[in-house]
Amino acid sequence: MEYPEIDKYSSLESPIHNFDPRTKIITFTLLIFSSVFVEDIRFAALALIAAFILLIISKLPFKFIFNHVKWVSLFILPFLIIMPFTVDGDVLVNISYITVTHEGITYGFLITVRAFTAILLVFTMLGTMRFDTTIKALHMLKIPNPLVQMLMFTYRYIFVFLDEFQRMWTAMTSKGFKPGLNISSISKIGKSVGMLVVKSYERAQRVYQAMLSKGYTGNPNTIVKFNIKTRDYLITFLIISFAVVLHISPVVLLQ
Amino acid sequence: MINAIDVTNLNYSYPDGTKALDGIDIKIEEGEKTVIVGPNGAGKTTLFLHLNGTLKSQGKNVSIFGRNISEMAIEERIREIGIIFQDPDDQLFMPTVYDDIAFGPLNMGLENKEVDEKVKKALSIVGLEGFEDKVPHHLSYGQKKKVAMASVLSMEPKILVIDEPTANLDPRSRKELIKLINKLNKNQGITIIMATHDVNALPQLSDRVYVLNHKIIAQGSPREIFSDSTVLKENNLEAPDVFKLFKVLGFFGYDYDTLPLSIDEAIEELTKTIETNNGHIHLHIHEHTHQNIRDFINNNDHHH
Ligand SMILES: Nc1ncnc2c1ncn2[C@@H]1O[C@H](COP(=O)(O)OP(=O)(O)OP(=O)(O)O)[C@@H](O)[C@H]1O
Ligand SMILES: [Mg+2]
Repeated sequence: MEYPEIDKYSSLESPIHNFDPRTKIITFTLLIFSSVFVEDIRFAALALIAAFILLIISKLPFKFIFNHVKWVSLFILPFLIIMPFTVDGDVLVNISYITVTHEGITYGFLITVRAFTAILLVFTMLGTMRFDTTIKALHMLKIPNPLVQMLMFTYRYIFVFLDEFQRMWTAMTSKGFKPGLNISSISKIGKSVGMLVVKSYERAQRVYQAMLSKGYTGNPNTIVKFNIKTRDYLITFLIISFAVVLHISPVVLLQ
Repeated sequence: MINAIDVTNLNYSYPDGTKALDGIDIKIEEGEKTVIVGPNGAGKTTLFLHLNGTLKSQGKNVSIFGRNISEMAIEERIREIGIIFQDPDDQLFMPTVYDDIAFGPLNMGLENKEVDEKVKKALSIVGLEGFEDKVPHHLSYGQKKKVAMASVLSMEPKILVIDEPTANLDPRSRKELIKLINKLNKNQGITIIMATHDVNALPQLSDRVYVLNHKIIAQGSPREIFSDSTVLKENNLEAPDVFKLFKVLGFFGYDYDTLPLSIDEAIEELTKTIETNNGHIHLHIHEHTHQNIRDFINNNDHHH
């Protein structure tokens, strides 16, 4: 079946792909936070452009990014529409009870731009390394072990779970089940989801038995082989400088 | 002599009350190949989970090389005995093939370099060199099965427990796996105990057979077990196809010394018969042939 794989293009070659995973996570996270807290719309736009440039450098296909971003935009675009009506300030339009303010529009745009910047950066970061590499990098960055192991097992078993769901769905539809919005259909779906939960629980038990059989004691058990090169320091320096500049320049330039 | 596996009077009920094992006694010598057969739900998997202490019963009923399993440290236990589970998706829980195969050796406390070597070696044993960086969900079922095997072989256990090695494999993978198991047994002296429903593969895979149906119903060589039609019938079992075919040939007047259990044995048997009969095999229909065949077919059809 078709899996929703965020790391589908992780084997391409680009400076972002070659960037050491740990430094990539640190610098991108910094850049994301920096862009999200920018107060000035012009600098927020600058951050968005920077995110685009990084995306272009990464060679990730636009279509792939677009496919992911379009769902996330469903959550962001409402802000652009709601903000102009709800923020107080200079009134631009006033029709009976509804007012549109200048501040509202700016603020709506600011939030949208910030959000898209963050999303583009997240996808560029996650899309340019294999997900298991991301998890291992998190492990090396001393992210607490339970969290890392949880991510690890989620990543491994989400696909098994999807397969199981697919199989069950095929079984249901081949027995004449037609999905619909009536009570009987919804109750059938409810029951099958319940079955999936039971199945997952039983699988979890069997996996745990398998882990014990291989001597699991709760400690992390991976070997990670990363090494940071000079080039990595350079890229890190550039990106972090930019993140800092985003915050210093508004203060200096717009006095 | 110390047995590789020594199970005495093992009882087990699941928490919900299902009695799965009832007074099991099994002794397996080092280097032996043992197959456990029995219907679905007979308790084969449950028994296997006791062999390395994953499931525990009250008493001290399981010994490995003379030592009680519950008294062994985890690192010791995984050096002695490795289990390959029925469903490879249960056994491959790490993000990549490498991580899965390295999991056991890392738990043994080996250095990274040694772990690397163990992974390489295990992958080459199962014939999947270069698969280190693959993720499990990109593998075929047969490949997953082999990786699951490698993930246990990397610990180099002296005893290998395999639950349904040939289930769901295509004919070629099945053949390769049978060969691999025999190779491990022969070249490395690994003691092998496995559960299977694949009666046609069984003769090649076993020195000794136990029929399990919550209790040990019977034990013996494959030939002894397959010759006991009552045991077969009562435990949803069947003899291998070759074995049955030669039985039928017997009704047509074929005079066999022993019933062959596998194609190899059949070839041997045929060659011998033809050579002693001046280059011929003589078959004919006599007065009881039809009745014998009818009885035989009815006897093999569990619905009648
Ligand atoms: N976790 C569990 N909880 C309760 N009962 C269980 C559990 N696992 C297995 N059983 C029951 O214990 C009995 C033995 O099951 P087991 O899985 O050992 O059989 P098996 O011989 O391996 O069967 P198969 O050939 O189908 O793999 C069955 O009746 C089964 O339903
Ligand atoms: Mg089983």
